[in-house]
Amino acid sequence: MKILLINGSPKSSISSSELLINALSEQLGSSNEYVTIRAMGLSKQEFLDGFTGVDAAVVVFPLYVDGIPSHLLRLLYESKDELKHIAPNVVIYAIANNGFYEGEQNTLALNMMRHFCNSADVQWGQGLGIGAGGMLSAAPIGAGPLKNIGAALKSFSHNINNKISKDNLFAQPNFPKLLYKLCVHLVWRQSARNNGLKRKDLYKRL
Amino acid sequence: MADILIVHDIDIKGLDLDKDKYAIFQASREVKPCVGCFGCWLKTPGKCVIKDSDSDFAATIPHMQEVIVISQLTFGGLSPNIKAVFDRSIGFILPFFCSIDGEMHHQQRYAKRPSLRYLLYAKNISDEEKATAQKLVKANALNLGADNYSIEFYDSAAKLLEGLK
Repeated sequence: MKILLINGSPKSSISSSELLINALSEQLGSSNEYVTIRAMGLSKQEFLDGFTGVDAAVVVFPLYVDGIPSHLLRLLYESKDELKHIAPNVVIYAIANNGFYEGEQNTLALNMMRHFCNSADVQWGQGLGIGAGGMLSAAPIGAGPLKNIGAALKSFSHNINNKISKDNLFAQPNFPKLLYKLCVHLVWRQSARNNGLKRKDLYKRL
Repeated sequence: MADILIVHDIDIKGLDLDKDKYAIFQASREVKPCVGCFGCWLKTPGKCVIKDSDSDFAATIPHMQEVIVISQLTFGGLSPNIKAVFDRSIGFILPFFCSIDGEMHHQQRYAKRPSLRYLLYAKNISDEEKATAQKLVKANALNLGADNYSIEFYDSAAKLLEGLK
């Protein structure tokens, strides 16, 4: 099976989406052929070309303001009328990850991906919503506090490998919410300090 | 000074609006997408670091009583042009988390926050897309700290404009 993995993060540095793609392709196994593309900076045609001969596609992206990041949304919108001709039998899956703790907060963005499939008249497979995305570099996915994420990816991979459509899955790390919040706050303060800002600067009102 | 901000993705040239009351922002393809750098939180708090027509948008919001969002309904959400503006507006809120009804959200940067009114247009809007849009507006209002919000659907931009006149 040929599987297209779409990295929907706009970041050029390593992103949670990239970490998820790496872990997902490991779970999907070595018997598939994989093509990976980064959506940021692609033209509509380059995006569509990625779907050539593809059996399944997985769109992996960060949650932006309760939805799909604009650069990826634009490509989906511009491709919707032609996708069916390029990949008539493709099944589309999506993984959305957010900075909030709860994976369920990705529900609306995953619904939008389903509406995209309806609009493009291609089969929707399944969505996976992952919370506390900021933690995905804290350990190998599937180990330690990211054991839950590994388990969710395993079920998700099974459905992709068999082109099964199912209800969305949600997961967040097996790590206390309060501790996650404190860790993220520490990271923000440290990053601001590195940028020469004082703690009170972060609260500036314009 | 204008206290109602209209952010839109349509041609509103024919609309005669009182400039003392309304500030208008055209969300065009020229608005660059968010690059996920968090500069609006950690480098220039409250303001996007990308230089284009959208740079000051987030800092305008707290000075408004109301923000009217005119957008083509796209997959149950906002259009790519409007979404680019929204994605680059997170400087309006703080990076720090809080808990609302047991769910994690961002703390608010500003004490005064405008109400949100969404006017969404598209042909043949399905009930499913409508339901997603209604939930989206509720979620946006919660995350942007708007106490009041509303949503209206139109089957074309022309009919939407008629409603505004």
